[in-house]
Amino acid sequence: MHSLVVEGISKRYLVPRPHKSEGTETRLERLRSMFSIPLARDLLGAQEIWALRDVSFEVERGTVLGVIGGNGAGKTTLLKVISKVIAPTSGRIRGYGRVVSLLELGAGFDDEATARENVYMNAAINGVPRAVAAERLNSIIDFADMQNFVDTPVMYFSSGMYLRLAFSVAINMQPSILLADEILAVGDLEFQERCLQKVRDLARETGLTVLFVSHDMEAVSRICNRVIWIKDGQLHRSGEPEDVVTEYQNAAWEMLTAGEKPENKGSAHAGRYGEIVDVKLLSADGREIGSPPKWEDVYVRIRFRTYRAKTQARCAFDLFCKGVLVLRSSQPDLMWVGPDTIYEALVKIPASLLSETNYTINVGVTLIRAEREEHSLVVNRALTFMVYGAEAKETATGKHRMGVIDPTLEWSLERKADVVRA
Amino acid sequence: MSSAPDSTPALNVSGDLWMIEPQQHGVLDRVRELWRYRYLWWYFAAEALKAMYRRTKLGWIWLVIRVTAPVGVSALFFGGVLGVSSNGPPYFLFFSCGMTTWILFERSLLVVTRSLERNRKLVTKVYFPRLILPLSAVAPGLLYLTILLVVICFTVIYYRRLEGVWYITLRPQLLLAFLAILLTLIFTVSVGLWTSVMQARYPDVRQGIRYFMPFWMYVTPIIYPLTIIPEQWRWLIGLNPMASIVEMFKWGTLGYGQLHPTSMTISFVMIGLTMVSGIWFFNSQESTSIDKL
Repeated sequence: MHSLVVEGISKRYLVPRPHKSEGTETRLERLRSMFSIPLARDLLGAQEIWALRDVSFEVERGTVLGVIGGNGAGKTTLLKVISKVIAPTSGRIRGYGRVVSLLELGAGFDDEATARENVYMNAAINGVPRAVAAERLNSIIDFADMQNFVDTPVMYFSSGMYLRLAFSVAINMQPSILLADEILAVGDLEFQERCLQKVRDLARETGLTVLFVSHDMEAVSRICNRVIWIKDGQLHRSGEPEDVVTEYQNAAWEMLTAGEKPENKGSAHAGRYGEIVDVKLLSADGREIGSPPKWEDVYVRIRFRTYRAKTQARCAFDLFCKGVLVLRSSQPDLMWVGPDTIYEALVKIPASLLSETNYTINVGVTLIRAEREEHSLVVNRALTFMVYGAEAKETATGKHRMGVIDPTLEWSLERKADVVRA
Repeated sequence: MSSAPDSTPALNVSGDLWMIEPQQHGVLDRVRELWRYRYLWWYFAAEALKAMYRRTKLGWIWLVIRVTAPVGVSALFFGGVLGVSSNGPPYFLFFSCGMTTWILFERSLLVVTRSLERNRKLVTKVYFPRLILPLSAVAPGLLYLTILLVVICFTVIYYRRLEGVWYITLRPQLLLAFLAILLTLIFTVSVGLWTSVMQARYPDVRQGIRYFMPFWMYVTPIIYPLTIIPEQWRWLIGLNPMASIVEMFKWGTLGYGQLHPTSMTISFVMIGLTMVSGIWFFNSQESTSIDKL
């Protein structure tokens, strides 16, 4: 049985044609735009933007549907159309039961009101009478774990507490369909885990259908039964989480690296004493590679050029995963370098250290001249790559939540003593 | 985890089937929905009231000042200094009775107009029937009206003491005064249905209304009695529904006033037209306007 059927939904926005960007227009043009006939730009220069174009899909009851896609792809628009916040330009959506949305943290919350009042207000927004909300107040507060803050104005809440309250209210409104847009990214890990678990339980037990928008691919592939990928307002792919997520990540990786040279990134890659020429990822046999396999050593090669004599250099890099600094490593000592020379620093990241996920590397080269003047060259996001694992291993351990690194650790299990049971 | 839809227990909520389509729902559906969301009315009404004196030190006292000060000063100016005649009752009483429905209209209309815009954050993030916003935005106006009615009561008692005359007595005509208030509410919301949606698109609307309102007040017989208008042109005043409403209120309370059948009919038709067209306009334009908020 379907709980949500989306048929050919399109959404068009008419936006005024933008002015020439600031600075490029001449003084005369600026003057003219100041005294242009009001409304004319609105009426004549409207520009069509299709936020969604002919999106169709069906969701079975009890499904946790992941919605993924880049920024501005139309994921949020889709959720807003389903929650009736905005009307579609064409198409039709049919569904069963109450739709509760968690579109933005704090939407539908009044900062000056207490947690208790906000529960009632949110209930009212969802069409739930005050009496019913009062009955559920305890379970809402319990799940949000804020028994001591019931009568505290929510403006004193941390964003994590906000989220806990919002989520707890949402699932206690007895929704048939829950729309969650990215907001689970706010809470602490423990609560996130609890939310995801709750979502899964409700999906299984009561047939709750969840549309879960997230950029956290790991969470998506863990809790979703199905994933749709929205790209440029269109349904690009739909299917098993693993397939879609993998394809999405590959595409995202290609986009990030395609045509982007470190030279063009605007970071301080060139300075008074030298410049960073390029940064590459190499395999053990010296080939340039895009995504390394987990079981092989991988090298980061930093090439830089010096301008001046009497200079010392030291290279370093930061490894990021999901915005977290995983590690920072630098050459142990400063090295003397000659003028007008290209140097190449090579650093090995050992096999079986990284997790099967996306990483970003920032590179820095510190140049010190005459042991006094220090100058740093930096290339942010010099490399973005995904580590892939062996198929066999994945099926052996099953789907599991990965950390930012996944080193192969040595385990042992020994028999120590017998226990005599009474 | 594969979903096995047939083995899952039934939904524990009323499994209403709903549908979202580009074309808007009918008016009847809207009314039903309004009732389902009735708990929200109070919330938005309370919000609108709180917004009136938020962050002021005098708090609710401001409400009283904002009603009594303009009414008192204007009455003193027109009645005392300029010597406008009321053709009967004391000028202050005449003026404040004229101001009741007008204050309800004027103060509410500005709040109603801004109701969608003010709640932008909510409107663009969560769904609820938007119609609740203009409807509950009349709350501040109603409060002003109540304050003014209290002031009128005290004035009547004062004149009883002073002159020994009850200028307003409990009689069946008083019901007309309530009808006048009801009509004002309907008219205010009807006009507001237009202006609130327009305001969402063009913030100029609020400015326009603010400067237009004094002129509207001058063509409404509040400062002056209707009798100063020549007899043969008096029916024209019916084109301004507020004029008929104000006259109706004064006739109901003070017993002075002109209930001109032709102009009354014209006014009722005008109010009806504004209401029907307002509902139609709001219903059809509300969602596209919200895109622009």
